[in-house]
Amino acid sequence: MESIHDSGDLIPGTLEMLILKALYRGPQHGYAVAEWIQGTSQQVLKVEEGALYPALHRMELRGLLKARWGTSENNRRAKFYDLTAEGHKQLHTESRRWARLSSAVAFVMQAS
Amino acid sequence: MKQQWHELMLRSRAIFVKRRMEKEMAEELAFHQAMLKEKLVRQGASHEEAERTARLRFGDGRRWHERLRELWQFRWLENLRRDLKYSLRVLRKSPGFTCVAILTLALGVGANTTVFSIINGLLLRPLPVPESDRLVVLGIAQDQPNPSYSFPEPLFRALESRHEAFSSVFASFSTEADVKADTGTERARLQMVSGDFFSGLEVAPLMGRVLTRADDSKGGSPAGFAAVISDSFWQRWFNRASNVVGQKIRVDNTVFTVVGVMPKRFMGVNPLERPEIFVPLAAEPAMDGAQNLTTAGLHAWWLNTMARLQPGVSPAQANAQVEAASQSILRERAPDANWLSKREGEHFHFVAEPGSAGFTYIRLIFRKPLVAVFAMCGGVLLLACLNLASLLMARGAARQKELATKLSMGATRGRLIQQLLLESLLISLAGTAAGLAVAPAIGESLSALLLGGQTEINIDTRLDLRVFAFAALVSLAATLLVGLVPALQATSSGLNEQMKQGQHTTQAQERNRMLPRVMMAFEVALALMLVVGAGLLTSSLVKLYRSGAGFDPRGLESIAISMDHQALRGEALMQFYRQVGEELARQPGVKAVSWQWVVPLAHMTWDESFYAPGGKEEDIHENSIAPDYFKTMRLPMFGGRDFRWNDRAASGQKIIINQAAANLLLPGRNPLGQVLSKKDKGKVIPYEIVGVVGDAKYEDIRQAAPPTIYHPMTQADAEQPPSFNAVVRLEGGSGELASAARAIVQKINPEIPAPKISSMETMVDESLSAERTMALLSGFFALCALMVTAIGLYGTLAYATARRTAEIGIRMALGAKRMQVARMVFAQNSAVALAGSAAGLACALLGSKLLSSFLYGTSVRDPWIFAGAIVVLALIASAASLLPALRAARIEPVRAIRCE
Repeated sequence: MESIHDSGDLIPGTLEMLILKALYRGPQHGYAVAEWIQGTSQQVLKVEEGALYPALHRMELRGLLKARWGTSENNRRAKFYDLTAEGHKQLHTESRRWARLSSAVAFVMQAS
Repeated sequence: MKQQWHELMLRSRAIFVKRRMEKEMAEELAFHQAMLKEKLVRQGASHEEAERTARLRFGDGRRWHERLRELWQFRWLENLRRDLKYSLRVLRKSPGFTCVAILTLALGVGANTTVFSIINGLLLRPLPVPESDRLVVLGIAQDQPNPSYSFPEPLFRALESRHEAFSSVFASFSTEADVKADTGTERARLQMVSGDFFSGLEVAPLMGRVLTRADDSKGGSPAGFAAVISDSFWQRWFNRASNVVGQKIRVDNTVFTVVGVMPKRFMGVNPLERPEIFVPLAAEPAMDGAQNLTTAGLHAWWLNTMARLQPGVSPAQANAQVEAASQSILRERAPDANWLSKREGEHFHFVAEPGSAGFTYIRLIFRKPLVAVFAMCGGVLLLACLNLASLLMARGAARQKELATKLSMGATRGRLIQQLLLESLLISLAGTAAGLAVAPAIGESLSALLLGGQTEINIDTRLDLRVFAFAALVSLAATLLVGLVPALQATSSGLNEQMKQGQHTTQAQERNRMLPRVMMAFEVALALMLVVGAGLLTSSLVKLYRSGAGFDPRGLESIAISMDHQALRGEALMQFYRQVGEELARQPGVKAVSWQWVVPLAHMTWDESFYAPGGKEEDIHENSIAPDYFKTMRLPMFGGRDFRWNDRAASGQKIIINQAAANLLLPGRNPLGQVLSKKDKGKVIPYEIVGVVGDAKYEDIRQAAPPTIYHPMTQADAEQPPSFNAVVRLEGGSGELASAARAIVQKINPEIPAPKISSMETMVDESLSAERTMALLSGFFALCALMVTAIGLYGTLAYATARRTAEIGIRMALGAKRMQVARMVFAQNSAVALAGSAAGLACALLGSKLLSSFLYGTSVRDPWIFAGAIVVLALIASAASLLPALRAARIEPVRAIRCE
């Protein structure tokens, strides 16, 4: 199974885009974000904690996410991240960019 | 843009909630780990396995924190904090360097600023009155380098009534007076002021009213004379009684009604004087009796005159206006054509100068010295900066290996420079703070020295913060700039080479080491100049004191007895003086007593034209004296006889002349028995010379003793005012003389006002106050300069020597003797001191000409002073070099080489 060491290494900004997408459904704590990405990608994309948290904090600093302390599903105190208006906008731009990029890459790779 | 702003905000907030953030980060990670472990356990792993896997995945928790923390902080701030810690450690590790640098700055910035502040407070600070920039000081220019600032009453009144450029013209005269109470008499600082004084200064009273023009009219207002008192006098005399207005005070035997109290911050026109009682000028004749300055008219030059400019008039325009008005005022007030033509011959005209700082007699004395003092201030500041520069450079050179190591370990150039600059900054901050700490003590002791116990003068010794800020900024800039040099040098290319070579001298380093030494030489030169300057001024002062007045002022007291209001004249008056003199002579400690009409050095002049047979008319100073005068004054008698009490008018006019008069009027002739003549109202009056005496100074101790004729007081004509001054030669204190004189006079006639006693020694001191201050200040600066230079010489040599430890070790291992090593190190500073002294000598020779106008009887190239200054500097340099030389001699070769 292929794992991604640091998503930033593959294509810069990819991890951030994935995080934005993960949070699109509603506020989540870091562990759930990692799990969701991993699960949704069918274990292809494994998000390392060493990359995830710096990315989350960086995005919080930049105002894409806002954080709030809440109670997790198993009654623990956890830090929940949520998209801000800025985050929503960023997700929109990023997904359009990604769609363009991936189809372009696909075109190139499928060329005979 | 928006995102960056958001970042900035959150990061700034993070500075304040740092603790909470750290805790939350840890909690967040712990949560993640716990969730992970739960999942693993759910998937069937044992607790231990889950624990291990989680640990493996997360690694060291601290690194995690570090990464997150970095995100949240300002990187530069964090770097700054680290650099600060590091710099403090570095500075603590070299306490010698740190102390030397801080001391230099404390001296250069602190001491220097203090002096500047005092002078500034004395001379430059504006008066605390509204729109002080519209005040001007009026003066009288004649054929002299400086205008005079004393006006006779008639000329002032003429100016007062004219209003072209000024909204008001006002005059004041400061003196001391006796204030009589039931319990006794006290002295108080008195200021006689003209009617527009208070309105011109635009100050409001604390209570009551100020003096007005109505008060300044003959005899005062219908209710008698009015007076305004200061806040301090209100406190001292009336204990702040609220009903003070309307109370009577008796000042110099004249009754005044207190009409107002001035607020505390009001200090009159002279920041140094702070008068306690203000009385109208018109009260002067009543207070001073028949010999008063007002009636003396154009013969008494006593009033300090200021004016307030009309709105929109510049001081220059006002100056032009008063100059233009001079002629008509002179003509209007001149008593006779002779007087007028004499004034016109001297190009007499009025001047107006900016006077926002008020009227300070000291400022007038200091007009030129001030520039010199500022130059000295600048010199010391420059010295301090140079010192720091050379120290820092020596240190920078010594640290090149350390810097190179850091660079090779991956430090960026920028960070390294930042760190070095921070070190410099810390030094200058600490030095400035130390300067601030020592400033008040220096200020107080210096002003105490300056005033020499004159309690009636107050100097504001508060540090002028602007000046301090300036000095601090200069030193800061210097430190930073100089700190930058080693930083840049050290981080320039080719450093790896240096690291490899370690302490071994390379050419580049040799050059680097030259610069601090050149700077030190420059410093020595500067210090030498300051020492020479101080030496010249001090020697001039000593010569002034030594050349002195001609008479011996030590133990000489002058007692003024006011007889103007008494009926005694002629024979009876002489009898009175003779009797008082005899009584005074019987007092304990009194060696001799005589009388004089004009008190020398009191800036009073009596002169007329005399001529010898066949000679031309010459202006000769005169005085009227009693027998034993020359013995009392300790003036040598070169020939002839002293006056006698029975030298009467009937026996023909007798005179005694001084050597200067003999040389002028009767060159090469024996003056004894010769006759001098004076033309008076068409008659020729002959005077027979019966004696020749030594020269004595008359008006001013700086001026040569003028040709002088002494008349016996027994031959005084009826027009001469009858108040004489006793001169008393004392051995021992003058403690009881004042009360004794009072008792003697009172016994003869209780109507006679209490005599005023003043010490001639004090008068000489006061007349030399500018020279004393200059000598004192220059001495202080020279001392500072010497200390700074010594510190610098020691510091740079100590550094240079420390760097050469290994080299010296090798030398010694190869057989160099300890003495040789010590001599080698010592020789380094000798070369610096020698070069500096040579340069300083050259500059001092050229520059000392600037001092010539301050010097009395001292050549600007006095070889003794130059030699002395060089010896002093040589001693200082030797002392500063001795310690490093000895330390070098004590180096243990084995250990020194192993260090490498």
